Amino acid sequence: MSEKKKIADGDNHSHDHAHSHLPSDPELRVKAVETLLLNKGLIDSKTLDELIDTYENRIGPKNGANVVAKAWVDPEYKKRLLIDATSAIRELSYQGRQGENMVVVENTPEIHNVIVCTLCSCYPWPVLGIPPTWYKSDEYRSRTVREPRKVLLEFGLSLDPKVQIKVWDSTAEIRYLVLPMRPKGTENMDESELAELVTRNSMIGTGLPKEIK
Amino acid sequence: MSRLHDMGGRFGDGSIPIPRDGKNEVTNIEPTFKYEWHSKAWAITLAAGALGEWNLDISRHYRECLPPKDYVNFSYYEKWLAALTNLLIDKELISLSELKEYVSAAENGTLKKFSDKNIKLDQRTWLAKDVQKTLGWGGPSVRDIDISPVFNIGDKVVTENYSPNKDIIGGHTRLPKYAMGRVGVIHSYNNNHVFPDKNAHDLGENPLPLYTVEFKSSEIWGELAENENDSIFLDLWEPYLKLFPH
Repeated sequence: MSEKKKIADGDNHSHDHAHSHLPSDPELRVKAVETLLLNKGLIDSKTLDELIDTYENRIGPKNGANVVAKAWVDPEYKKRLLIDATSAIRELSYQGRQGENMVVVENTPEIHNVIVCTLCSCYPWPVLGIPPTWYKSDEYRSRTVREPRKVLLEFGLSLDPKVQIKVWDSTAEIRYLVLPMRPKGTENMDESELAELVTRNSMIGTGLPKEIK
Repeated sequence: MSRLHDMGGRFGDGSIPIPRDGKNEVTNIEPTFKYEWHSKAWAITLAAGALGEWNLDISRHYRECLPPKDYVNFSYYEKWLAALTNLLIDKELISLSELKEYVSAAENGTLKKFSDKNIKLDQRTWLAKDVQKTLGWGGPSVRDIDISPVFNIGDKVVTENYSPNKDIIGGHTRLPKYAMGRVGVIHSYNNNHVFPDKNAHDLGENPLPLYTVEFKSSEIWGELAENENDSIFLDLWEPYLKLFPH
């Protein structure tokens, strides 16, 4: 047996966890810690506003939809995207935090890809923004690796048993984006019209792009 | 052994909480943050992280180390806030007496933010003008070092079992328990990345080869596998893997 030096920090039971002193109302809890950090000058309220505004209004699934639409109309771009997604996505100026190492996985008539993070909530922020509640839920994290077909059925997606499902569990710092199949009957649509069809869930693998009526 | 956050494959969870519209159709439209305090818990975690007193792996490990009862009862952003509070204390950015003072002020309704002119910003504090630059750069985990990967694409490998972290009892690891002791195939090599098992415990970055490994669902779940064609792909560091048969 190897000599292990120490136990994990969080397992040190000689003192109470600091968080046990927090109020029971989560809103008050945040307010207390936030005000303390602000008054100590360790965080700046303008930074908090800028961060929240960025992910509420600027960085979200529209970015990913633009990547997908470009790949649908531009075969050379698609080739670059599948070989080096990080660089190809950077061509559209989407990059950075939680998207430092991007991999794009392509859906085909034979393969359907689904993204999950069973250990936490890893998600490609520059192209999809902050993950939705269901993506971070225990239910999605626990079940998607064991019964992806039942999970997809709950999202309204029924896959032929002959289609192979590939589940990508984001266990490292690689972030995945699904390239869904271009819907039929969209041959005459341009890139920006196509981007409107690309749903967030279709880029996680729990949905398909919108059909045209 | 593992912790509660490592939930891939477990039984007992019900339907996915998927938002639906008035016609009961799945909808992709929902607010980025459901409540203002969610956005605040998230933003103060990012801003405090930018002080540079801990890395991403440490903050993940602190969430994982919440006592099981709290881990289960807390909602997502409550976990973030609890882990942040423990980190702020452990890294001595705030003291327990300061925390208690602000908590009782919050409970009595006497919490007061100082006026801006009475706040002296720490020199490490993340400023609004730098937010876009810092987000755009991110925190790359790839390290440009000369280590050749031991495994080749197509190699059959078996994963570690029981306790992948070799330094710390109950230490952080990114090998989920559902994939421990299982045989897979090297799908790709993804350069050398900071090793979370050490980095989460301030033992250095120790960058190592990172592979994407494909496991057949039948190898993972046996007869419970939904469909024998299906696969699961995991991103695993070299120490989690041995050549099979070994």
